[in-house]
This record gives sequence, structure tokens and C-alpha cells, in this order.
Amino acid sequence: MTNPWVAFVLVPMIKIVVILGTVVLATAYMSFFERRLVGFLQIRLGPNRVGWFGVLQPIADALKLFAKEDIVPSRVEKIVYLSGPVLIIVPSLVVFSVIPFGPPTTLFGLLPEPIAPFVTDINISVLFVMGVSSFGIYGIILGGWASNNKFSLMGGLRSAAQLISYEVPMGFAVVAVLLMAGSLSLVDIIEAQRQAHVWFVFPGIVAFFIYFVCGIAETNRNPFDLPEAEAELVGGFHTEYSGMKFAFYFLAEYANMILISSMATVLFFGGWLRPFPSWGWLSFLDVVPPFLWFVAKVAGFLYCYIWFRGTFPRVRFDQLMALGWKVFIPVSLANLMVIGAVIVLLGGGR
Amino acid sequence: MSQDLYLLSSLPDSEEMEVSFGPQHPATHGVLRVMVRLDGERILDAKPIIGYLHRGTEKLFETMHFNGCIPHTDRLDYTTAAANNQAFVGAVERLMGVTIPPRAAWIRMMLAEMQRLASHIIWLATHALDIGAMSPFFYTFQERESILDLFEEYCGARLTLNAMRVGGQPFDLPEGWLGRLRAFVDQLPARIAEWERLLTGNRIWKQRTVGVGVISAADAINWGLTGPPLRGSGVRWDVRKALPYDGYDEVEFEVPIGQNGDTYDRYLVRMEEMRQSLRILRQCLDRLPDGPVMAKVPKVLKPPKGEVYHSVEGPKGELGFYLVSDGSTQPYRLHVRPSSFINLQSLPELVRGGLVADLVAIIGTLDIVLGEIDR
Amino acid sequence: MSVRKLLTDVLHLDLLAGLWQTARFSMSRKATVEYPEKRLEPAPRFRGMFGFSEERCTTCRACERACPIKIIHIESHLEDVEVDGKKRRKPVLDRYDIDVKRCMFCGLCEEACPTKPKAVWLTTKTYELATYERDMALYFTKERLQSWEGVVAYEGVVPPAAGQTPEDLGGKGGKE
Repeated sequence: MTNPWVAFVLVPMIKIVVILGTVVLATAYMSFFERRLVGFLQIRLGPNRVGWFGVLQPIADALKLFAKEDIVPSRVEKIVYLSGPVLIIVPSLVVFSVIPFGPPTTLFGLLPEPIAPFVTDINISVLFVMGVSSFGIYGIILGGWASNNKFSLMGGLRSAAQLISYEVPMGFAVVAVLLMAGSLSLVDIIEAQRQAHVWFVFPGIVAFFIYFVCGIAETNRNPFDLPEAEAELVGGFHTEYSGMKFAFYFLAEYANMILISSMATVLFFGGWLRPFPSWGWLSFLDVVPPFLWFVAKVAGFLYCYIWFRGTFPRVRFDQLMALGWKVFIPVSLANLMVIGAVIVLLGGGR
Repeated sequence: MSQDLYLLSSLPDSEEMEVSFGPQHPATHGVLRVMVRLDGERILDAKPIIGYLHRGTEKLFETMHFNGCIPHTDRLDYTTAAANNQAFVGAVERLMGVTIPPRAAWIRMMLAEMQRLASHIIWLATHALDIGAMSPFFYTFQERESILDLFEEYCGARLTLNAMRVGGQPFDLPEGWLGRLRAFVDQLPARIAEWERLLTGNRIWKQRTVGVGVISAADAINWGLTGPPLRGSGVRWDVRKALPYDGYDEVEFEVPIGQNGDTYDRYLVRMEEMRQSLRILRQCLDRLPDGPVMAKVPKVLKPPKGEVYHSVEGPKGELGFYLVSDGSTQPYRLHVRPSSFINLQSLPELVRGGLVADLVAIIGTLDIVLGEIDR
Repeated sequence: MSVRKLLTDVLHLDLLAGLWQTARFSMSRKATVEYPEKRLEPAPRFRGMFGFSEERCTTCRACERACPIKIIHIESHLEDVEVDGKKRRKPVLDRYDIDVKRCMFCGLCEEACPTKPKAVWLTTKTYELATYERDMALYFTKERLQSWEGVVAYEGVVPPAAGQTPEDLGGKGGKE
């Protein structure tokens, strides 16, 4: 692969298309699995009519949303209103460019040399992910404001407050991992977990807990789904959106769930590594390709999302703020100090 | 009139916002409209606006013969049809001086307690759904389905029962019905425990309900609250105990009361009432008397001239019918004392100073049904 | 108490109990009945679509009077008929119409019916009454009440009874 056109244009292009397609399809199917699994949690079946056990349901949904009339309510700020869905879907798909789905692979010898199954690995991946994914808030707050609807406005405002409050403890939780790994590159973080012979969830259980709860809050999911609390705000920020514009908000929410789950997998659960990578007698687990380990871990987190949705009531706005500022920020800071101190005492600190 | 709907005429520089909750809103239990004045998330004032489901039922009653009114009482509060029937036929019977056979009275009591269970189950389902817990809705409705199946076996309808007549019960119990009711009564406590495991101890549920919508005992009486909203404030008032009707003076049960008058206490009161209803049902199953189910009443009902008020303890509060008869085959005037309507009056008092999310929780805890409010 | 409460708070036992409960429910049998393929059988007393028998009907009009919303319309006349060689005057139904779209299935007409077995009954267990047409599709004449087989198709709209125009029957007819 000496030809630079192949190495720097063709291969990345193929990767981008494949990963984008996979992520979009995965988000669409995420909605299907959610409906089915929530159905199971609620002693009912969920959608099972389209195709075999309903597997074509997302396709049918997409067709329906495409075919719907494109309604723009009167007296909306048209440009802002129309740009809202774009502003939310683009960042939530772009961040998948740095998620390491697996180690470099030859696809069982099909390729002449190993290719990494992710678009790129930049040395500030963590910052990139947190920065770009925070952009999605503009889609929510602008869409909510431009809809000319009081419920949308309140949903947008709630969402803005919620995301700002929970970025902070989430960032501190991630910093704890960065201290342990000594790198901002996601691939290096996985490598560090392999060298440390332990997933970071074990030393960083508090950080993981804070990260995941903040992740639920960041993705506006139950029990923190205040911006779209249908009992209070009808549809929240997307009340006035329909058809494909609504579908973009919907897909972005699920893409963000997958992102948070992927990040939790990479940061705390060893990414593509098998369980206990240092234990030799577990080496029979290596028959499972690393990519599938990654997928399985992400699926586990996504199941938790759905499980929580089927179980918990919704917290109130002031309680959510109180939890973020009065509990998570102090606890994550204290956790950071403890982890830092332990690393210094153990003579680490690269 | 239309000006009255709005709480705020125009304050261009104010940061206050006026939001119309409903009449089409997921959490207003039908077509209730609440005009809310908000400062950010905080509710400054609220005003319920009703009438979107008005069908003129009270006027319609005046055009119907007495037994023909019964299916219309079903449709007042469509989740508590048996209690509505019971209150109406009780009023007519009191005016006519009819004493119904004991078996009919006990069947009525059973139907009313089953209806109380069904109504509290709907309340729990929708209240939990409003607060964001989605699953209890499905778990609870499965049990409600069993109650409706029993209703269907008894009278042929699931929701609008039309299961009582002036002078007794139109039919006796079908064969095997008591056994199926016993099976249901035996398995429900375990189900209630499952629902409680999801909610009662849950910290989020507690955060959302404890201290929300507090009303003191004195205020509750002054607002005319009845039913669980009154008992949640610690007032032990229950028509079944105070003015027993049908067989309620012969069965044992407790009237649970709360202490703080908040949403959580009203939740606990209703959960305990479900257990007490089961207790009454068990006694009914053990001690159901034999005999006829219909007293001797003329085919064409002509109550004497006069007026009467009869009330029962409906699942949502005191449900009364005030009947004026001019001696003809139709009521001269029939006024309903609707529990939901009077309980709803306290809404502005309860939500003032709360957050938007509390409004939803308080509408849920008052357990209103618009069919009864608008009539 | 306080130790237990602390433990509950830190380990989130209250939330875990809820999660355990939903997980148990997810394993239990599903309550769904997949409707068009499987149907629930209504109870024997279920009040559904009307059944009507012209032979049993004595045209006493008890059902008409019992109906709280007056949706049963009966017209009849007396006719001389010969039964076993004797001349008798027998009532003959001209019209027995039920405006089922207004019916609330209270069953008072069935209760009022004095014949044994009943000439009008609601225990047919039929509850599928959806139609594509609003005005006349659920207006049942006596012929249609007796020949009705449970499916109301768009094509099966019954013409108005003899001498009746749709306007007379409350339909909106051809023009607005």
C-alpha cells in the first residue's frame, strides 16, 4: 500500500462509508430493540409484525417518516428551525470517527496488510469526543427556541442546563481514567488497560458510576429525560418537529446512547479486550473476534439504558440540578484526588 | 368570560410566561385545561378550565325513566361505573322506601369494592406514568383486566356496567364466579407488593412525591375534599363508616389515613385502601347471604313526590346524587355531587409555588376523571 | 436503621430492587393477545350486537319504551290469519329498526322483552362493529338484524326502509 491515494483517500473513504452506514443502521435498529425489550419488560411483545419477528420494523418506520408531509409550523424562525436537526445529527455521527471498534485486522486474511477498523486515532480523541458531542446541544436549544412553542422552549432550556451541569462531573470522571492511562488517545487507553492487566472499571468504579449516570443525563434518557418529558412538556424540544426532521432528533438520541456506551466500553471496560486479558487460562475466549467483544460490551450498556427506562420514574428539574452540582461534582473531584494520590504513591505518573 | 381565562393580561417586560396545559396534553387525564403562569419552571398561579367534555348529563336525566338513567350514570366517571350505579339506585330506593334483599346489597358491595380496586389501579398506572415510570402502567392494567373480566361475566359489560337496578340486582351471580373472584383476590396482594417494590421505596419516586402538593387537614376540609385526598391529610372520614349503606356496617375494614397531606401520603393511603378492599371482598366471599336479588318493585317506577340525597364512598371521594321527584316516571331534577369536580378545586392551592413537574404529579394524585367533572 | 439507610443510599438498593422486579417481569409470560389471529372469547352474558327474531316478537313495544335513548323504532298492524283452521287477529311487524350506531349496549331492551326466549337479545358475543360508512351502515332493519352475519362491509349498506328517505332516518343523504 505504497500508493498515497490508496492509503490516504480510498481506504479512509471506504472506512467512513462503512462506519457511517453501520452506525446509522445500528441507531435505527437500536430503536427497534428498545421497543422490543421495553415490551418484554412490560409483559407485552413490542413490534413483531414487519418481517421475521419484526426485524424490518425500523425500515418501515424510516419509510413512514420519509413519506410524511414535511410540516413547517407557521411563525417559526425558519432557518434556525430547519438547521436544528442538522446541528444535532452531524456531531453525533462525526464523533464515531475516533471510536476504536477493534484492533487492526486483516479481515481473516482478506486484506494484504492489517487495517485499523476505525477512521482515525488522534492523540486527543477524548477531547475530540467530548468537544464534538457537546455541539449537539445547539441543535436542541436552537430547535426548541425556534419552534415558537413554549413547551419546546422549556425543553430546550432544560436540556441546555442539564448538559452543561453534567459535562463537568463527566469530564472529571474521564480525567480519572486519563490519569490511569496517561494518554488522551482512545487506542492508547485500551493499550494501557492491556498492559495494566486490568480494566479501569475496577480501580475506577466510582468514576465509572459517575460517568455512566452522567451519560444517561447527557443523552436525555430516563430517569433524566426531562427535556422531552412527555407528561410535562408534551414532546419537549421536538414537539413541533415531524417527519424526517423528527427522525434526525430521534436518530441523534440513539447515536448518542451508542456513543456513551462505546466510550464507557473504551474507557472503563477495556474496549475490544476480552475479560481479564492477563489470565492465560481464559485464552480460549480469544476465538471471539475483538470486534465482537466490543459490540457485546456496548450492547450490555445499551440494555442497561433500556432497562432503566422500563423501571425508573423521572426526577424533577431542580433535583436533577441538585444531583449534578451538589453530589456528582464534589464526589468526582474527591475521586480524582484519591486516584491521583494513589498513582503518585504507587510510583506511577508517567 | 374569555378574558377571565387568562391570568396575565400583558406584561411585555416580564419574564413570566403563561402556558396553556391542555386541553390536549398527555398528562391532564382527558381534556382538562390548566392555564399556568410560570416564572421559569416555578408555578406562580394555575387555573383549571373545564367544560370540554360537557354532555349535559344532568339535563338528560330529566328525560329518562329511572332505570334508563343507570347506563348514563356509568358515563359520569367511566372508571367507577359500579359506584355511580350504586349511588344512583341508592338515591331512588331511599326516595321510594325500598329495602333491597341482603344478597343484592352484598353483591353491590362486592361490585363496588372491585370497582374501587379497578379505579385505584388506573390511578396508580396513570400517576406513575405521569411521574415517568412507564412499566407499572402495564403491570397494573393486567390485573385490572381480570377485574373487568369478572364484571363482564357478571353483567355483560366491562366498563359501562349498568349492573344495578332500582330494587336490587338484575341478575344473580353466574356459576363459578365466586371461585374466580377468590382466585383473583388471593393473588392480588402479591401483585400489589410487586408494584410497591417498584415505587414505594424508590428514591426517585419519593423525591417526586414527598412534600409535593401539601394540604393541611383544615384546608382539606375547607376545600370540601373527600376520599383519599382528604384522608391523606389525616382526616378519618369515609362514607362507608360514617353513613353505612348496603352491607358496609356488617363488614370489618380500616380507613387508612396519612399524616402529612402530601402526594406520597395520598399514594400510601390508596395503596392501603386497595388492601382494605381485598379484605372486604374476602369477607363478602365468606359470608355472602343466599336469597333473592330483587325486591318487589313495580315495573314502572314512580317514586313519590319529594327529594332525597344519597351518597356513597366512591373510589375518588364522596359521590352523591340529589334527586327531586315530582311523582312522575322521570326525575324532576337530578344533581350529581361529583368527587373529582370538588377535589379539582384545590388544584391552584396545591400547585402554587411548585414546579411544572409537580403540576403533573398533583393532577395525578387528585385522581380526576373529566367525564365526572364536566358531566 | 441509620446503618441500613446508609447502606441503601450508597449501594442504591432501592433502585436495584426495582430493576430486579422489572427483570423478573421480563421473564414472565407475555399478556399480549395478538388480535386478528387470536381473539378473546367474550363471556356468555357479554352484551354485544343485537339478535332479533321476528316470529317471537309480539310487537308489545316494551323494548321501545325501555330504551333510554329511543333508538328502537317499531311499527306494526293487525292482520287476520288462519291458524289451524281458526281465524285469528295477529300482529305483524312492519318495521323494527335499531339505530345501532347510537346504541350504548345497556341491555335494557333485552331485559324488558317479555317473550321466552327473548325476541331481542344482545348476547351474540359479536363486538366487531367497525364500518367504513357512518350514516347508514349501522342502521339495522328487521331483515338485516336477522340476516346479519357479523361483518359490516362497505358494500353491505342497507337501503332505507320502505317509504323512508335517508333524511328521515337521520342520515345526511345525497346532498348537504
